[in-house]
Amino acid sequence: MKFVRRHLLTAYAILSFAYLLVPIAVVIAFSFNDPPGRYNYTWHGFTLDQWKNWDAVPALKDAMVLSLEIALLASVVATVLGTLIALALVRYGFRGRGATNLLIFVPMATPEVVLAAALLTLFLNVTVFTLGFGTILIAHIMFCISYVVVTVKARLIGFDRSLEEAAMDLGANEFTTFRKVTLPLIAPAILAGALLSFALSIDDFVITYFNAGSEVTFPIFVWGSAQRGVPPQVNVFGTVIFVVALTLMVVNVLYQRRREVQAA
Amino acid sequence: MTDMLTRQELLRRAGFGAAMLSIPGFAAACGGGSSGSSGATTQKLASTLHFANWPLYMDYVKKTNRYPTLDAFTKKLGVKVDYTENINSNSEYFGKIQGPLSRGQSINEDIIVLTDNERYLATMINKGWVEELDKDVIPNIINLVDVQKHPGFDPDRKYSLPWQSGMTGIAYNSTLTKPILSIDQLLEDKSLKGQITVLNSFADTLGLVMLSNGDDPSKVTDASWKAALDRIKEASDSGQIRQFTGNDYTGPLDKGDLKACVAWSGDIQQLGNPKLKWNVPKDGGMIWTDNMIIPKGGDAYTASVYMNYAYTPAVAAKIAAFIQYVPPVKGTRQAMSKVDPSLAGNPLIFPTDATLDQVHLIDPDALSNQSYNEQWQAVLGA
Amino acid sequence: MGFFHRHRGLTPYLLLLPGLAWLAIFFLVPLGFLGYQSLQSGTFDVGYAFDWAWGNYWDALQRYHPWLVRSLIYAGLATLFALVISYPLAYWIAFRGGRWKNVLLVMIIAPFFVTYLIRTLAWETILADQGPVVGVLRDVGILGDNGRVLATSTAVVAGITYNFLPFMALPLYVALEGIDERLIEAAEDLYASKVQAFLRVTLPLSMPGVVAGTLLTFIPATGDFINAQLLGTPRQAMIGNVIQSKFFNLLDYPGAAALSFTLMAAVLLLIAIYARAIGTEKLTG
Repeated sequence: MKFVRRHLLTAYAILSFAYLLVPIAVVIAFSFNDPPGRYNYTWHGFTLDQWKNWDAVPALKDAMVLSLEIALLASVVATVLGTLIALALVRYGFRGRGATNLLIFVPMATPEVVLAAALLTLFLNVTVFTLGFGTILIAHIMFCISYVVVTVKARLIGFDRSLEEAAMDLGANEFTTFRKVTLPLIAPAILAGALLSFALSIDDFVITYFNAGSEVTFPIFVWGSAQRGVPPQVNVFGTVIFVVALTLMVVNVLYQRRREVQAA
Repeated sequence: MTDMLTRQELLRRAGFGAAMLSIPGFAAACGGGSSGSSGATTQKLASTLHFANWPLYMDYVKKTNRYPTLDAFTKKLGVKVDYTENINSNSEYFGKIQGPLSRGQSINEDIIVLTDNERYLATMINKGWVEELDKDVIPNIINLVDVQKHPGFDPDRKYSLPWQSGMTGIAYNSTLTKPILSIDQLLEDKSLKGQITVLNSFADTLGLVMLSNGDDPSKVTDASWKAALDRIKEASDSGQIRQFTGNDYTGPLDKGDLKACVAWSGDIQQLGNPKLKWNVPKDGGMIWTDNMIIPKGGDAYTASVYMNYAYTPAVAAKIAAFIQYVPPVKGTRQAMSKVDPSLAGNPLIFPTDATLDQVHLIDPDALSNQSYNEQWQAVLGA
Repeated sequence: MGFFHRHRGLTPYLLLLPGLAWLAIFFLVPLGFLGYQSLQSGTFDVGYAFDWAWGNYWDALQRYHPWLVRSLIYAGLATLFALVISYPLAYWIAFRGGRWKNVLLVMIIAPFFVTYLIRTLAWETILADQGPVVGVLRDVGILGDNGRVLATSTAVVAGITYNFLPFMALPLYVALEGIDERLIEAAEDLYASKVQAFLRVTLPLSMPGVVAGTLLTFIPATGDFINAQLLGTPRQAMIGNVIQSKFFNLLDYPGAAALSFTLMAAVLLLIAIYARAIGTEKLTG
């Protein structure tokens, strides 16, 4: 019984991960499919052709690269801006806190299609903006900020300030305290916010579609190709991104481990 | 009117064009990119043609990652083609471009392709958001098949030219059901309950139902509309119709979740699943056409030159061989025997006259009737 | 740094400035235009003109409140399910993840790398009527002989839940990760059982994460339309579908705008009630 109790949590966690990742498994599996026509719905046989011809679909690679660039940039900027707002909201009293909180929630509640059209109107009326990479990036940063704020706040609320106070008692000024004490402690929250932003950005369709001009991001490509069958190369790319991201994180872990071992 | 060019006119122009080509240096002196196929204008070709189209709608070679007919166009006329496949839905694309166009701004495309069985194509033309074709440089317009010469939304073909056509009919899975050959069967056979879908565009779905009711979808009346709508609503409420889909019916059909559905001819061709059969329903099917138009601000001259090129039977055959929908250019079938003889006899690409007699167009007025649109959206759930 | 000491009161405003400025320009201005549009009347063919058309709002509320209610219910259910699934997962990563925490976090957002459409197609493959999962459900008796999972309200709620899981899991993790384990040890030293320690120490300390996750899931889920469109029938249509239809198919831009504001007002009202109920400290610290 104790065995069950002790491992219940682990079992549950594994099940949750399975639930989360089972579609990815399907995607990876179907990247090895050999469909007869243009659609990739039913299993027809194993082949490495799609991987060998990974570059066979025009514009897919460019769309993927564009999406990654935008997602990386947008998540960095949104995380910085959002973290600053979260710090201000949780740690300082100021006039307009209620209004600020409202301003953070409203973008999340706004249906994407009307937000997309309204943002396009802004870009069209202010001619300094030409639709393309810049406008996509601006839009993505805009809708990611709220998510970062809420995520980082979850860590800042209830944050034990005594550590910071101790540091300052020992002579550190505010900036050093922030850099050496606070930041490392809220780093997981900042990372989580950045990951959420990245996910939002790389998956966005409607807002991007309206404000992209003739640029094509990965989701736009996929929605477009769904008309005539999503090519298996999309599965290949999805698999590659997943594997690369995982590998980077695993390498990071092993690297940290080496550093710890060497330091010991 | 260019489509009334006499034989002599045509020969004269061809001769003039040939003469230009044989005079060295003349082309250069006329300015870069001047085409030799027409000497009747002093306009210059743009350096780049911006062409937005639906995915998989242009002949393409995987190995080289290029579009052969577009490359040939560039080679022949010196015009680069900036070809993007970012139209995935008439309503979504229109939703995006109406912003700039309603403000008099250009969307930086010279040719876009919209379908004639949704309201957006006619709206573009009626709102004046399109440029006129420069018919002086489209002598090949005489190759347009007769049935497409005077559509309701553009009776004189001043603004649009067909790109490809397709048909709407019924598809069924032959291993899961007996052949489903009529709308009556589709909607009333209880063995199909919950395992059929219909398309979410009313031109396709209600068009077929009207035909099944004995009404003419090219002349919709309030009575024929109501009769068709009520039938679909009833089938939806009773659970006979599982879902209203866009082209996402292809997955469930392929996997066997659906026994039958309203489907487009080309999709079944491209699924490549021998168990799936497509047919024009007993009471008639629908035909739709994707049309090329020049949005306002586009380069009408260069766009028209391209359209003329695309209406050359040899080029049309190469494109149709890849896309596998119905080309609107006369002479394509003969040209196809040189490109891919096996396709020349394919009834989905070159329907017989008998088939063409059975397929109908939707009444364009019905498409822009706001009340009809609202009633249909209500059936879809909104 | 002397500047910040002398101008202490300025600090919050300086921190807020870049982000809020961004939102002010690129969100509030478009929102203002949307508000203007929501008060226009006319038709697409004839053109729209601003004339304080409050009728748009009345129409939205009166005609479409069933869709609104359905959206709130679906979003609420999805949020609840997401919480139940994500909490143990986030707990496990936070307390047992060790050095692999970041790897596990990346795995949580991995489904987003393949776009919504591909994820949904994969689920449609897994949950196909002829597939193994539905087969088992039918054998076990949960589904009738001709029962199906796809094209039902279950599928729609499941789709929303699945697609918003990371939005619940990540904030939960963030709060749980910050809990000092020594507090839990101390509780156990004081003779609390594991369950009591959880209920009395961990859970309350993780509440900011629960609140954050709930907000990040519920708020955007109410406006969702794509799950209902691909996984549902007309009976499952949400308010997002109506807005889509008004915008793309009926070309009724003022109607779409008014309906959007109605949704936003409903959601913000619910949040205000929620905040009042749980106490604003959890919301703003």
